[in-house]
Amino acid sequence: MLCVVRNLIFSCAFLLAFGFAVLLPARSTHRSPQEEPQSTQQPTAPTAPPAVPTGPVIILDPGHGGIDTGARGAGGVAEKDIVLQVARTVRGQLSIQGYRVVLTRKDDSNPTYDDRAAVANAYREAIFVSFHVASTGASGTVRAYYDQFSAAAAPQSMPRTTMRSLAPLAGSLVVWDQAQGPYFDQSRRLADVIQSQLARSFPGSPQQSTGASVRTLRSVMAPAVAIETSSISVSTPDALVGAGGLLSSAIADGISALRQSSAAGAR
Amino acid sequence: MPRGLKIVLVILAVAVVAGLLSLRTLRRRLHGLSESRSAEEQARHAVLAPPISTPTDVTVTAQIFWADGPDKVAPVEVNLPLSADPVERSRQLLQTLIANPPTDGQRTLPADTTLSAFYILSDGTAIADFSDAIASELPSGILSEELAVNSIARTLESNVAGLRRLKILIHGQEVDTLAGNVDLTGFFDLTSIPASPTAAATTGASH
Repeated sequence: MLCVVRNLIFSCAFLLAFGFAVLLPARSTHRSPQEEPQSTQQPTAPTAPPAVPTGPVIILDPGHGGIDTGARGAGGVAEKDIVLQVARTVRGQLSIQGYRVVLTRKDDSNPTYDDRAAVANAYREAIFVSFHVASTGASGTVRAYYDQFSAAAAPQSMPRTTMRSLAPLAGSLVVWDQAQGPYFDQSRRLADVIQSQLARSFPGSPQQSTGASVRTLRSVMAPAVAIETSSISVSTPDALVGAGGLLSSAIADGISALRQSSAAGAR
Repeated sequence: MPRGLKIVLVILAVAVVAGLLSLRTLRRRLHGLSESRSAEEQARHAVLAPPISTPTDVTVTAQIFWADGPDKVAPVEVNLPLSADPVERSRQLLQTLIANPPTDGQRTLPADTTLSAFYILSDGTAIADFSDAIASELPSGILSEELAVNSIARTLESNVAGLRRLKILIHGQEVDTLAGNVDLTGFFDLTSIPASPTAAATTGASH
């Protein structure tokens, strides 16, 4: 008799425990909106979602590096060090503006020309900007270059359409040495806009961009320009390094103008 | 002050004075060496690149493109005895371009550069093979390298008829760049200026 009563008590206890375990969560999941617990905190203003970088990836290429010092100034100032600092400054400025920015070198390494181009070619939509410092030229002037050699490889009477429509068709082969060809027109427009900004920011700079056979640009499958500041012969490199802010603005304007013209062409 | 310390200080002072004196002498000697090296290079240049003269030389007014400011080249009219043979004519022109700029500021190619070889193919392709100095002694930079190439290309284009494009070799080899920036793997166009009948010679020979 005692055993029966004890088993009955255990069974009731088990059933009660089972009932709580199953039913309570079910109740809580079906809570009505009125049953929502009132927060004790003050409602906060909706925060803006973090800026998602859109548009092309900006590839910044600090020229030279490693044993290739580039131009050398008095006191041992090397072009490779100055352009790396400039590229870092420009990266910071463009990132603030919401651009995705990638550097072809982040230290004193010396990627090959093809390695640098490959960084840009890995992205579906990119813009390539290579930084240099000249040995010559009036101090404080800056020049934007597009690849003149690519004019020969550029398709004739190319329609001014969107960036992507200028890219080679998927699955088609691209001659590596002529990869810049389809982008010749865009590169020249980009260089023109950047140069017009540079002429305003750096008095004495040319009004128009220059076509030159710049080796770094040849294999880039994207609009590509080189920007060269004069000159390494300045007494202190601070002025050269400090130009990064103004260069960022000119590059941002160039990218913006290129995207607008591409969008207009697409319409 | 102990006597030993005084002796050491005197010896040190004498050593410093002697060092300063020898430094001055060394500097003078180094300067002399660099001057003699420059003279030596000039002499070597004269031996390696003697003036070219051919039986068909006629003195004409040639247009040699030297630097006109930091970022462009401009023609300078020079009276030169030039050969009727386009290869020899081209060599004469390029030698003048290297050796005789009106001023040092107008120089576009290093003084020690020599033209090792020059060929013209039947399709109008000119091949100019320069010594290493054109790369090793040229100031690095897109601006200076482009100026150098332009001065060569425009000088040939203006004075030798029939040339279509230019290939630049260094020490007999195709190289990636001139001095780190300008692409030498391709051909430079020599047809941007309409041929001038007064300055141009007939082209026929190919090498």
